[in-house]
Amino acid sequence: AIRSSSASNFDLKTYWTTLITEINQKLDEAIPVKSPTGIYEAMRYSVLAQGAKRAPPVMCVAACELFGGDRTAAFPTACALEMVHAASLIHDDLPCMDDDPVRRGKPSNHTVYGANMALLAGDALFPLAFQHIVSHTPPEIVPRATILRVITEIARTVGSTGMAAGQYVDLEGGPFPPSFAHEKKFGSMGECSAVCGGLLGGASDDELHSLRSYGRAVGMLYQVVDADGSESALEMAQELSLKAKKELQVFDKYGDALLVPLYTFVDYAAHPHFLLPL
Amino acid sequence: TQETKSEPSSFDFMSYIIRKAESVNKALDASVPLREPLKIHEAMRYSLLAGGKRVRPVLCIAACELVGGEESTAMPAACAVEMIHTMSLIHDDLPCMDNDDLRRGKPTNHKVFGEDVAVLAGDALLSFAFEHLASATSSDVSPVRVVRAVGELAKAIGTEGLVAGQVVDISSEGLNLNDVGLEHLEYIHLHKTAALLEASAVLGAIVGGGSDDEIERLRKFARCIGLLFQVVDDILDVTKSSKELGKTAGKDLIADKLTYPKLMGLEKSREFAEKLNKEARDQLLGFDSDKVAPLLALANYIANRQN
Repeated sequence: AIRSSSASNFDLKTYWTTLITEINQKLDEAIPVKSPTGIYEAMRYSVLAQGAKRAPPVMCVAACELFGGDRTAAFPTACALEMVHAASLIHDDLPCMDDDPVRRGKPSNHTVYGANMALLAGDALFPLAFQHIVSHTPPEIVPRATILRVITEIARTVGSTGMAAGQYVDLEGGPFPPSFAHEKKFGSMGECSAVCGGLLGGASDDELHSLRSYGRAVGMLYQVVDADGSESALEMAQELSLKAKKELQVFDKYGDALLVPLYTFVDYAAHPHFLLPL
Repeated sequence: TQETKSEPSSFDFMSYIIRKAESVNKALDASVPLREPLKIHEAMRYSLLAGGKRVRPVLCIAACELVGGEESTAMPAACAVEMIHTMSLIHDDLPCMDNDDLRRGKPTNHKVFGEDVAVLAGDALLSFAFEHLASATSSDVSPVRVVRAVGELAKAIGTEGLVAGQVVDISSEGLNLNDVGLEHLEYIHLHKTAALLEASAVLGAIVGGGSDDEIERLRKFARCIGLLFQVVDDILDVTKSSKELGKTAGKDLIADKLTYPKLMGLEKSREFAEKLNKEARDQLLGFDSDKVAPLLALANYIANRQN
């Protein structure tokens, strides 16, 4: 309740739209169409899809700024998060996986480009993400050792104990609680986005720990709210929302102005139409 | 001179590569432990530990040692390039790609674990290669060098490397031989095969502490043997049986793929292979003649292999 009063003083709409516009532009530049053109077009189709909420990159930038980090330090990683996210979604939609012909109201990647090109577009987006971080992160602001930690974090997130594990359990089942796939598939990306931002902004290990729990809760919250409006889902959303906000309390010392964006993520997730008319 | 050292008589290459491959296998085995979810890790291990020739990791280690580094320094990079190689084979074999049932004499990954798991196991190996390179490389190597290695590996496998080769290869199927030239074929192989071999040598040289000049010479060396590898592969495909190769022979012909023998004939293909071998060896002139023996022998091994 305290937060929403300060949030109203903060021009959220400008904050989000400015950031999203900038991220979209950087993503556009990060994947130019070169030869062989078909593969670049397939990659661009999914990464630059209209209506993408850009939650991972915005969270990454907001977390970086919380610790006084420069936005320019976070942008390359922010774009990379969007690339690996798109790669995972392209592969998840494939006929041999979820067999989803539609994504975000548009034909999915393989529906347009064929399964072989969709597979390769995903395979190309993963390394492009790492390459983009390495070649675009300003070395005078971010130590190379930090870049290695960011790369490790992203690689682990999309890997066999992260998102790939979630997708596997979703498809094949196994001796896992229902929350496992959910947490891995959706919590991982939020967790990674917040942690990468913190790393780039110079957060301490304790602070990274809080960001991790916060990001995971927000990632899962988005999915719970998206999935259905059942009683149990609403309860779970309430719980996750409280947990996420509680994790942010340790950052009070950084002041409301820098914290508000991270709080609004929680409200935004809980009420998808609360902020931006998408 | 280097020329007189061309025959690996003084250097026992077979015992060298067996010894190196053993350490690589041990490191690979340890790098991907069996964890939950079990099946996806089983699938990763199935292909990763299937007993390939380990040419890429050995090249990586040899390049590192040539510039004065230790085997252990190169090992995470060596494992990373083998993980990438393995994932590209898993995805390549999928029904939506080459649709292969057999690889290294064994059923392909998707035949054993299903297509969905094969896609995920490939994705997981890809990302794990980067995690391993970035986090397991010795802290004696400066982060500047490790970051550079990450960039090189990424470039080698995306749209400027492996994937570019795949895409052009796919779009070339069924093309009339008169419409495409050697340049086109070379583009495919430089990207599909040579890029990762190049990255293997370059990564080894970077983490081993090589100078820019040394790194670039090893890059050229690896490009040459990468192309050589493919020319020899094409020759073997038309001259050997499936049993001898451990994979489906003559597949390139059936799939109507472009090959060197088809474009330039068998004899000219063999001459081209010899020329590439010479060009590769020339890159090594000036390095310590003892230290260079493994790489010279590796080039010969690739040129003369029978499967």
